[in-house]
Amino acid sequence: MRANDAIAGLVLIILSIVMIALTASFPDFPGQKYGPSLFPRILGAGLIVCGGILMRNGLTARRLGAPWIEIAPWAKEPRRLATFVLVLVLLLLYIFAAETVGFIPLALLFLVTLFVWLGVRPWIAAATAIAGTFTIYWFFATLLRVPLPRGWLNSIL
Amino acid sequence: MDALLTASRLIFDPYVLWVITASAAFGMFVGAMPGLTATMATALLVPVTFFMDPVPALGAIVTATAMAIFAGDIPAALLRIPGTPASAAYTDESYAMSKKGQLDLNLGVNLVFSVLGGFVGVAILIVCAPALAEVAINFSSFEYFWLALLGLTCAVFMTSDVPLKGITSLLFGLAINCIGIDPAAGYPRFTFGSVELLQGISFIPAMIGMFALSELLRGMVHADATGAVIAQEIGNIFSGVFGVFKRYWFNFLRGSAIGVLIGALPGAGADIAAWISFAISKRFSKEPEKFGTGHIEGIVDATSANNSALGGAWIPALVFGIPGDSITAIVIGVLYMKGMNPGPTVFLQNPQFIYAVFLIFILANVLMLPLGWIAIKGGKQLLRVPRNVLLPVILMFCLVGSYAMTNSIYGVIMMVVMGLIGWLMEEHGFPIAPAILGLVLGEMLEQNFMTSMIKADGAFIMFFERPIAATLGVLTLLIWGTMLWRGIRGRPATLSAAAPGP
Repeated sequence: MRANDAIAGLVLIILSIVMIALTASFPDFPGQKYGPSLFPRILGAGLIVCGGILMRNGLTARRLGAPWIEIAPWAKEPRRLATFVLVLVLLLLYIFAAETVGFIPLALLFLVTLFVWLGVRPWIAAATAIAGTFTIYWFFATLLRVPLPRGWLNSIL
Repeated sequence: MDALLTASRLIFDPYVLWVITASAAFGMFVGAMPGLTATMATALLVPVTFFMDPVPALGAIVTATAMAIFAGDIPAALLRIPGTPASAAYTDESYAMSKKGQLDLNLGVNLVFSVLGGFVGVAILIVCAPALAEVAINFSSFEYFWLALLGLTCAVFMTSDVPLKGITSLLFGLAINCIGIDPAAGYPRFTFGSVELLQGISFIPAMIGMFALSELLRGMVHADATGAVIAQEIGNIFSGVFGVFKRYWFNFLRGSAIGVLIGALPGAGADIAAWISFAISKRFSKEPEKFGTGHIEGIVDATSANNSALGGAWIPALVFGIPGDSITAIVIGVLYMKGMNPGPTVFLQNPQFIYAVFLIFILANVLMLPLGWIAIKGGKQLLRVPRNVLLPVILMFCLVGSYAMTNSIYGVIMMVVMGLIGWLMEEHGFPIAPAILGLVLGEMLEQNFMTSMIKADGAFIMFFERPIAATLGVLTLLIWGTMLWRGIRGRPATLSAAAPGP
């Protein structure tokens, strides 16, 4: 998906205005002309200028027939679009469930789902997922002592 | 001399040598797999090197990237798909040579000249870095401000074909760098009460997201696309290479020199070095009509250039703390984490680390010859690793790696958010490199800007009073002026027209 430059420019301008508005609450330091708000304000002003030119370019392109939103060729193929959405859903699932469920079950689910969806034969998918999960767990949790979330393991062990 | 001895003792330690060999194999693999880049190899290595001492950590990164840049040539010749963007400039030429039956010669030339180019890169690094450091020791905030701004300017000037989008990307990177404690006054900005945001955008998860996750998203969507490996047998790759060297030694020297120069310029790395040196080779060749038909000449230039660019990129990174390419941008993050703030003082206080980096570079290029030979011999098997198995495993590795950087889910959130932003930016034609550079250099720029502003107290002439500061300042303003002027006149405003990036 590719939005017209005018939309990108508008989003930039809105974000910059919010950023500059937020700097209003930054304190000034006595005897100092320049405080923590100076640098973000300069950047915000620059981004507003860039956003303005982007909007102008985008509107010109629009008049010449460019659409507001262009769908990339791959996104028109349902299967590819589904792959994209699936990866996002799995990432979100990992973020929200990692602490409660734990690394090992989530990683297994994550890998098996992706393998099978991308067309790996089921038994290879299962074997690789198990090997991959435990290698990563051994490497990070045992060797490098990263406290990977234990989740359900806590109640079993 | 003492420092050199200490450095060699640090390197020639069984553990360090083991790390270097393992990362060499890792780099070869990542470089040879289409869709996985040298920058990605670095980003994936960082969570692992996080737990090592500085020398093995730097050794792993230097070695892996050197190998990856060479290994990218293998699928270019066998599949007509560059393994890393640094090989894209001569992929068609390489493949044309393979089809003509010169696969052996092509791979041999790629390997030998990658090694030689790497040596030129490290030689110039060894000569230039300490000399520059002696100059840089007298720099004040004014010089550093201009230097940082010049670095960011180069990043826009060198990499983006639409300068407006490059500048926007740069400003965006600088703006998100404002999140967290501000470097001049210590006031928390844009943290919205979150404790984790106080420390700012965690740099490594952000890099893993922007360089690895956004690439993986694209790769996963096209996981079913595979190329056909050329059926030729690989024989003796070294026969005929010496003849090529005798004939094209000047191309090799020119390519390597261009590579170091472009590598040292902030924002542009091995890929741009290859494009530009290939274009120059064609422009000054005695037989330009042979280019495109499987001619070795341009490959000599470009394959030397992309490996010498690696060494060149370390010059500004070590001396000023300004990354020469996206790999050294990550390296600077690693150096800060290890408490070795890059800059001229490292050369005085910890010279053994600098010498260690030099030695690792030499060692990596020596190792490249046998390991590269093995990788070429095993190239066909290597390229048979199915992408639909590989990509999910790497994605898992990204998740765990970014978790390990903060020991909390915050790192993962940062990685995913930045990955999606990076993906959206690329979809809309905004280059990622300037944003990353803004993120790396933002603090240095703001700190020196604020210090200079307070020192100057309204007298802006002070920004130009010291001779080096004045030179850097005028140079920066000149580049901006050129871009503006050319932009208004409707001509291509950046150098990238000479190097049509992929």
